[in-house]
Amino acid sequence: MMLRASAHVQNKKIDITAIAGDPVTADSDIEFGEELIAFAEAVLAPSDDASLALARARLGRVAGDAVVVDAAGVIANFQRMVRIADSTGIPVDSLDETIRDSLNLSDFPSAANSGQ
Amino acid sequence: MHETKQMTHFTYEDSTVAVRTDIGETYSWFWQRLASPGSWWTGAERIALAAEVRRATDCQFCGQRKNALSPYTLSGAHDAAPASPLNDDAIDAVHRIVTDQSRITQAWVDGLVERGMRIEAYVELVGLVVAVFSIDEFNRALGLAPEALPGPIAGKPTGYCPDHTDSETGFVPMIPRNKAVGAEADLWAGGRGANVLRALSSVPDAVRDWKSISAVQYLSVEGMANMIGDPDRAINRMQMELVAGRVSAINQCFY
Repeated sequence: MMLRASAHVQNKKIDITAIAGDPVTADSDIEFGEELIAFAEAVLAPSDDASLALARARLGRVAGDAVVVDAAGVIANFQRMVRIADSTGIPVDSLDETIRDSLNLSDFPSAANSGQ
Repeated sequence: MHETKQMTHFTYEDSTVAVRTDIGETYSWFWQRLASPGSWWTGAERIALAAEVRRATDCQFCGQRKNALSPYTLSGAHDAAPASPLNDDAIDAVHRIVTDQSRITQAWVDGLVERGMRIEAYVELVGLVVAVFSIDEFNRALGLAPEALPGPIAGKPTGYCPDHTDSETGFVPMIPRNKAVGAEADLWAGGRGANVLRALSSVPDAVRDWKSISAVQYLSVEGMANMIGDPDRAINRMQMELVAGRVSAINQCFY
């Protein structure tokens, strides 16, 4: 929802299905989107240090080290936030049904915490 | 910025990439809080919880349970630290939050309380575990080893409880949106406490920890209204939210 809001404010095009694992499409206006997604996916595959090193190097090569550091921060932050949400069972504050359906969010076990 | 008399942790001197100084300073500040007595756990117990965070990712039983159809039908023992001061429920809670959080239920949390864990102690445990895990994940993302854990600071937990909580939301008590007042007035402003901000609020210091860490890893609570981007960051808001969304999707987080 925040991705859609930030794109709207900046009048940019996005493809929200990249969040669900679809390739980042060429007409998306998110700079380094493909490399950022690959880095996030590599961090969340914790048994594969070699792939993580490659994804980190690729992002650093195209976007610079400062982008790598800030992306690592966001990944770390949301590794924390999802665990706070699920460990305390909080429901979503507001539900965008279009996003829920386009990303198949109701299939997630923690959807039950929001009555889904 | 947080006061740091002498930063002995998170100097990032060995990092091949330059890490922003506010990140190292905030992590170092949190490490000091980690070592200190909390609301319900001693400094030694809090460091033991942090040590279990690091054991969970390689725990064989956690691996088996993660692959089980139901996480509540399998019995076994975690690869816990020898001579840990923590009981089995605390160790299991840490491992479950790190490795299988999306299948935590109200019934499981209620079971912890029935067996003697105070619900606020569970909330403090959650806040501490997720903070340590996220800081470790930051280091790992950059190809760096986890920071050495601090030594414990002696003292008793405060036993602090906020004046106003209710049990209307989720698995744990929380401060109502319009009751962040008095000593808790800094937690959120104007009755605008999103559920994720309220989630740990029965232990107010746990909210303060997550706000401080989040402000350097992602955005401050105030900064979340900025949909364009912080000029001090190398990625804009769309880039942040793309990464955030992908991490949440892989973790199967509905919230």
